[in-house]
Amino acid sequence: MRFVVQRDLLIESIQHVMKAISSRVTIPILTGIKIEASKDGIKLTGSDSDISIESFIPKEEDGIINVEEIETGSIVVQAKYFPDIIRKLPLKTVEIVTDDQFQVTILSGGSEFHLNGQDAVEYPQLPVLHTDNSFELKNDLLKELIRQTVFAVSTVETRPILTGVNMRLENDQLDFVATDSHRLASRKIPLSTENDQLDFDNIVIPGKSLAELNKIIDDNEETIMISVTENQILFQTKNLYFLSRLLDGNYPETSRLIPDQSKTTVLTKTKELLQAIDRASLLAKENRNNVVKLQTKANNQLEISSNTPEVGQVTEEVTTDTIEGEELKISFSAKYMIDALKIIQEDRVKIEFTGAMRPFIIRPMDNEQILQLILPVRTY
Amino acid sequence: MKTWNEIASNQPIATRILTNMIERNRLSHAYLIQGQKGTGKKAVSILLAKSFFCKNQIGSEPCHSCKDCVRIDSGNHPDVHHIAPEGASIKKEQIAHLQKEFTYTGLESNQKVYIITEADKMTTNAANRLLKFLEEPSKKTAAILTTENAHAILDTIRSRCQLIALRPLNTNQLELALIEKGLSKENARLFTVLTNDLQAALALDQDDWFAQARKLMVQLIEMLQTNIEEALLFIQKQWLLHFSDREQLKIGLDMLLYWYKDVMYLHIDENDQLVFLSYRENIEKSAMYWSKQDTTAILYAIMEARRHLEQNVHPTLVMEKLTLQMQR
Repeated sequence: MRFVVQRDLLIESIQHVMKAISSRVTIPILTGIKIEASKDGIKLTGSDSDISIESFIPKEEDGIINVEEIETGSIVVQAKYFPDIIRKLPLKTVEIVTDDQFQVTILSGGSEFHLNGQDAVEYPQLPVLHTDNSFELKNDLLKELIRQTVFAVSTVETRPILTGVNMRLENDQLDFVATDSHRLASRKIPLSTENDQLDFDNIVIPGKSLAELNKIIDDNEETIMISVTENQILFQTKNLYFLSRLLDGNYPETSRLIPDQSKTTVLTKTKELLQAIDRASLLAKENRNNVVKLQTKANNQLEISSNTPEVGQVTEEVTTDTIEGEELKISFSAKYMIDALKIIQEDRVKIEFTGAMRPFIIRPMDNEQILQLILPVRTY
Repeated sequence: MKTWNEIASNQPIATRILTNMIERNRLSHAYLIQGQKGTGKKAVSILLAKSFFCKNQIGSEPCHSCKDCVRIDSGNHPDVHHIAPEGASIKKEQIAHLQKEFTYTGLESNQKVYIITEADKMTTNAANRLLKFLEEPSKKTAAILTTENAHAILDTIRSRCQLIALRPLNTNQLELALIEKGLSKENARLFTVLTNDLQAALALDQDDWFAQARKLMVQLIEMLQTNIEEALLFIQKQWLLHFSDREQLKIGLDMLLYWYKDVMYLHIDENDQLVFLSYRENIEKSAMYWSKQDTTAILYAIMEARRHLEQNVHPTLVMEKLTLQMQR
């Protein structure tokens, strides 16, 4: 393998793939970066086996030549040394040559490095793109989907399947659901594809992978292509591929958890409620469950209170737009409520209660796409 | 890298069982491979793993040259997980890591294999955790456990695995092979019983540490017979300095064990079986000093010491106790 590449492009690519490389891996080859030269350009791959990131440097882009003198081939270099070497080289271009003994020679100006590489055959084979099973989304929309659901995944491994976000496609609706069995976050978006082949349900993407993906993709109007294969999911922007393994198993049926009628409906300003609960939780923090109490009052007033005998107590009055239905006294975790309210951008939210011992639903007003469900806490 | 054919010369029965299973496509979800040191447990487990992944198998023999085979050999296959003791035991965290791994889909295929070497070294916690997914394996998962002592493994784990017992090596063969390599008959026999493995035996032959260790061992025996008061001092001042870690001390205990076994052989007139041929006179002296009952008691004491050492008892204490027990 041999090629000459613009150094700053190579550095950028290395930075991308390094995000997937972890120092604590069980398979020795994964401590390396795979470099693959084909006639179209250079591809770098990094992986910790849970997620893999591939970054592509095209040979030519908008008439600018990025990579020259390509002889095809591939090699795995040690991720511990390679990035620093490239970053500190003197010239704007780097020449990389390998021989059949897996020796890598890096040339730039007067400096010459010889690194021991490894055979690229040893590197895990990442699945190739299946175009049948893919669809496109806007970057910012995908980021929103992730942000609005991923916080609700479970962090304990007792039920591993709940550490992921369930992705489902039904009646031209793409549905992301996450739950840790105490609360649930769901976001639906309409998705119209011309692709009849598109078929998946019960895809569970690890929450960690999504959080990582959220960091990597830029917040802009560009589109990202999402493809689902048998055991991996691929997110593909122009020159960056992000692959994640999926969680194995069946995601619990969540639609039945959501109550379809309500006894008490509260309509209020998002921000005011959020701030009131945030303040009430200051004293509740000492408490084991972070519990605050909510009570409906006359004249569309809500009272939010928290009482920790050793510390003190707090009462917050919130004026709501309307309160309809039965009177209600309910306790719940302030943290869950804050998490749920934080991701709602709309000014007003609608909260639907069905009794003190039943889960309640939080929705932005006039927006059926977002749904947050929280289980109350039993207090005596 | 070994093939079934190569293993078959030492382990004809185990090989037959396994190759038949592969050919008939009746592989079980969990195997426990038991055999002494050098009997080829690792080779068997690697071959088994290959048979799950290799796409170009001819009969039961994997091709050894496809991507999957090559990466299983080098330990780089993403869907084959190796677990070996970290320090003295296999810890709960290692099994937890494995468990997490199994909640994910495979990286390349849906087949997954994990190999646990020295499975008897699992802590009780780790073993109980493992039990959970030995019991209810997800669709295409295979476990391969290897151990030198299947009885040291939890009954509940053992009963869920198919037990493949490898038979002990024919020591005469190895001894002859070593003599062919230019070792003396005395050394060849000692190394054979200590290692069971040609390469390891040849390495011991070149090892200065081992030569010194053998000298110390003979000194200790002599001291126990003539100068008992000094024995404990000797343990402190010389023995423990030389046998400074657990592995080394285990070799020391093994040598003591074979020495007293020799003493026993002399008592019962099985002179052909002697291991320390070059120290025949010393052994005869020992046999005069310790009676048959004494020797039996000492043999038990040494085995107990070895067990204690594995159970993380402090080496100094183990040796001191043993020395006291070996005094007549």
